Amino acid sequence: MDNNMNANDFVTLAHGAGGRQTAELIDRVFKAHFSNPDFTGDDAAVLPVDAGKIAFTTDGFIVSPFEFPGGNIGKLSICGTVNDLACMGAKPLYLACAFVIEEGFPLAKLEEIAAAMKKTADEAGVRIVAGDTKVAGKGQVDHVFITTTGVGQLTEGVRTSGAFARPGDAVIVTGDVGRHGCTILLARNEFEIDADVTSDCAPLWGTVKSMIDASRDIHVIRDATRGGVGTVLYEIADQSKVGIRLNSADVPVAPEVRGVCGMLGLEPLYLACEGRLVVFAPKSEAPAILEALRKGPYSASAAIIGEVVADHPGKVVMTTEIGAQSLLPQPGGELLPRIC
Amino acid sequence: METAKQIIESYDGRKLRVMEVCGTHTHEIFRLGIRRILPPQIELISGPGCPVCVTPAGYIDEAVMLALEHGAVICTFGDLIRVPGSEMSLAGARSKGAAVKTVYSPLDAVDFARENPDKQVVFLAVGFETTVPAACLAVKKAAAEGLANFSILGANKTMPNAYKALKGSADAFLYPGHVNAITGTAVCEDLVKLGVSGVVAGFTADEILTALAVIIRLSASAPGEPFFRNCYPRVVRPEGSPAALKLMDTVMEPCDAEWRGLGVIPMSGLKLRPAFAAYDARLKFSLPPVAGRSNPACRCGEVLQGKCKSTDCKLFGTACTPLHPVGACMVSNEGACSAYYQYGDILNG
Ligand code: SF4
Repeated sequence: MDNNMNANDFVTLAHGAGGRQTAELIDRVFKAHFSNPDFTGDDAAVLPVDAGKIAFTTDGFIVSPFEFPGGNIGKLSICGTVNDLACMGAKPLYLACAFVIEEGFPLAKLEEIAAAMKKTADEAGVRIVAGDTKVAGKGQVDHVFITTTGVGQLTEGVRTSGAFARPGDAVIVTGDVGRHGCTILLARNEFEIDADVTSDCAPLWGTVKSMIDASRDIHVIRDATRGGVGTVLYEIADQSKVGIRLNSADVPVAPEVRGVCGMLGLEPLYLACEGRLVVFAPKSEAPAILEALRKGPYSASAAIIGEVVADHPGKVVMTTEIGAQSLLPQPGGELLPRIC
Repeated sequence: METAKQIIESYDGRKLRVMEVCGTHTHEIFRLGIRRILPPQIELISGPGCPVCVTPAGYIDEAVMLALEHGAVICTFGDLIRVPGSEMSLAGARSKGAAVKTVYSPLDAVDFARENPDKQVVFLAVGFETTVPAACLAVKKAAAEGLANFSILGANKTMPNAYKALKGSADAFLYPGHVNAITGTAVCEDLVKLGVSGVVAGFTADEILTALAVIIRLSASAPGEPFFRNCYPRVVRPEGSPAALKLMDTVMEPCDAEWRGLGVIPMSGLKLRPAFAAYDARLKFSLPPVAGRSNPACRCGEVLQGKCKSTDCKLFGTACTPLHPVGACMVSNEGACSAYYQYGDILNG
């Protein structure tokens, strides 16, 4: 360490020991950024709940690198859980966050992460009400891991599930695909490729709200995170026992992402998104849903990319750019760039 | 004017077997569904153009030996890790404690060797003319820096003699554009004199379709007459890349090479010149000669020569899948069996 640097500027094991330094860390970073009327200093937050049903979910985040063009692990950890709730048609209300921080992690970076969490939570209309901090020895975690747990209020009259896709449904994506995965691949600097790609990471309750305001007849909403849109399509084809037909020309892909995928031999449909939904709804509802989506900040390039059919259940068939039919490969392979 | 696609779809001449000899072509042809628009007289064969697919089991055995018996750190392109050797793959060796590291360029392996002077680092040099220059550069760099802990296990291959060996398997070859970008086109002109036909093709949908259409037109206009065309002039110059060729010639020289499933093809490989012998892992670690064994039920060799389809192999899709490959053709995304498995039969596959 640089001798001029203050040791107080880094997270130490003492910060996780539960004593005075833990309290200082919580005050300096978490209370300072997360403060709201429901944020608890006690063992658990006590919250009012309206009548009706709640949705409840949790998700862990271990992204490497922890900051990337378009966001950082803090923003990601809020978006991930908010979006999981939103996909059920639930308005996100409260979040709890647990941090596992590597000894030696710079406090300034931790503050940046907390600030991004606060900003994203505010945008999503959700309150961070409880948290936990642990410090792990050097090398035991990669910088910082965050787990967020969320509660949301279900919207009446909306019931979505991966098992509800029906022949005749349109398949919609709410924007260009593969940006987050592409951003992370490039940020890892292993390929020595430079391209101007930023993550699509965004909180999507507003996007979902605009859709359900436009139509309550929506069968499936899924966020296309790990594994990308392709993995979601195969999951839904399987759960709903239907076939899916895609038109490759209709799949929105940013030119930079297409360029990188071309160089590395990757399929954009299998790169992760963190701000994109895959939506299945009857074709009759699709125009109203699309119109609503295209007005939103995170879904201006929403598009219908295909349809649900009764044929070939469990399979996703693409009409390729030469007008021939081809199977979209099943998910599951590792992301490996080609070598020849 | 007829488009390339129309020329292909409307072909009704005699039977035509076209072999693509490049993994990227194989993958793109499957991904685009080009096989589904072909008339029955045209047969596309996925030849031995994916470096992973032609890597013999004995080579994997050597790498495993270096890792487990000599404690070397193996640096390799990711795909090779799952290729089955006689006893185990590198992934298997890793679970027995071998150090196997994925790199994206041979130069990364040199960097790793420099940063870890207490470790012996071996780079697995596989691939055709497209990847050979980078391997040569890595060796030159290690030599210039005097890195005593870096070496390569060579299995680089060159295409020209493979075309001659495969001459009877196809009526025309779809030559891999990026290989010809290095080697130029004189090799293909020479092949015409030996009765081998082919065209250099690029990798977009239009470029592949155009190349196929040109093959169709040329075979129909003068049946039996060998031909060559460069359908990728945007990237492929007749003289290739003189700088890359010079680099390769400085560091490596031709040798006989074993191709998985095809056996030994004379002068179809490259090895380090005597001046760089210190960087040859086989010499450095005095590896004994290894006769590798592949699973006898695997029909990769026949698949690569178009003698059977992947689906004719009894193991296809049952014992052999991309997650549990039995043969090398199922490992890489660009392998014939893997492409067949992934993009194969829409309704029954
Ligand atoms: S399916 Fe597997 S075992 Fe059969 S030929 Fe292909 S790679 Fe070999």
